[in-house]
Amino acid sequence: MSLKYQAVMWNRQKKIYDSVLIAGVVLYLGLFSGLGAIFHPNATAETLLIRGFGTAALLLLHIILSIGPLCRLNPRFLPLLYNRRHLGVTMFILALAHGGFSIVQFHALGDVNPLVSVLAGETRYTSLSDFPFQPLGLAALLILFLMAATSHDFWLTNLTPPVWKALHMLVYVAYGLIVLHVVLGALQAETSPVLAALLGVGLAWVLILHLLAARKEKLPDEKTYPAAADGYVNVCAVSEIPEKCAHVALIGGERVAIFKYDGKISAISNVCQHQNGPLGEGRIIDGLVTCPWHGFQYRPQDGASPEPFKEKVPTFNVKVIGGRVWVHPQPNPPGTAVEPARIGE
Amino acid sequence: MPVMLADILILLAAIYLCIGLLFAIPFAFFGAGQIDPTARKATAGFKLIIIPGTMALWPLLAFRWLKGVAEPPEEKNPHRLAARGPENNPAREGKG
Repeated sequence: MSLKYQAVMWNRQKKIYDSVLIAGVVLYLGLFSGLGAIFHPNATAETLLIRGFGTAALLLLHIILSIGPLCRLNPRFLPLLYNRRHLGVTMFILALAHGGFSIVQFHALGDVNPLVSVLAGETRYTSLSDFPFQPLGLAALLILFLMAATSHDFWLTNLTPPVWKALHMLVYVAYGLIVLHVVLGALQAETSPVLAALLGVGLAWVLILHLLAARKEKLPDEKTYPAAADGYVNVCAVSEIPEKCAHVALIGGERVAIFKYDGKISAISNVCQHQNGPLGEGRIIDGLVTCPWHGFQYRPQDGASPEPFKEKVPTFNVKVIGGRVWVHPQPNPPGTAVEPARIGE
Repeated sequence: MPVMLADILILLAAIYLCIGLLFAIPFAFFGAGQIDPTARKATAGFKLIIIPGTMALWPLLAFRWLKGVAEPPEEKNPHRLAARGPENNPAREGKG
């Protein structure tokens, strides 16, 4: 939450996150180069750097792709999500270094423009061993550039979260291109099965995690709620909602977060205005619904962020009858105050 | 890919990005604050950091700046659309 944009809104958690990230990358590159020099004494420094940057980027991409589903499966991984954008930008820089060194080493010494050489240097599309794998890497790098360049909240706000998220879903296209780039490139010259096995394990890991998360995500959406004559739908028992937490239900084509706090019940849209994070998986902290992804906060009574912030989400009329929570499926405009339902009444 | 096609692609990309860079500098310092009030008092670091994205998305930003758009668009999700009411919700009237 901010009133003016900054390059990075630094806080203690982000500093720790980035310190660990940079230390990890430096350690990996140092180990890779050191071990590479020992086990492959004929490899040049440029070759070791190209491979080091490439494998570091690929490893980081697997970590990035794992964070989302891991958080869906277990909230203890949420701290990893908090600053995932910096992981993405770091991964792009590593991939750019890999691509840049590769172009200089393999394409910059001829008469042809190096980028033209990447695109047109190899044309044997029917050959597995000579397939032009470098354009695949270049295409992936373009996608990663677009994602890194639009990672700031300015882009999130001005593209709107659904469009921004759709744009950033291109990471899966980039991942597919990178896997093909590795399979048709590095693996064709590799005599040891280790790299192929590691890539297979990584691919299977990402796939299984996403399938498990999708299964868990789908379960609450399959439930339907009976409506009464006045339009209210019977969602759950009050006792099913933990104190200062929410019950999430699919109502009106989107999820609603129904919070219990201080003997009251309020319902707001589950979709955080910042990055569409799941508000219902957050908690009420200091009287405010707090998004588990980046800490954006909203008052449960009117879905508005406290002054001076401007974020607002739609609210819902609620009532409690006989220990059951009823929610009206017609959302109120974002920021509309709604009297909370009293649990004891 | 034929060399001529690769040549054309690289040339078009270079032209697009050069126009984007020429646009990005005034946009970062003046335009961003026009289309998004939160960018009006933004730091110099922010202005630098949005230049690569502006180079990539300059046609959209130029359109908004020239059109005089003063606020970022509101996102569309089922709850926000339904909350607008039927008169402001094309999907409810079968128009969307």
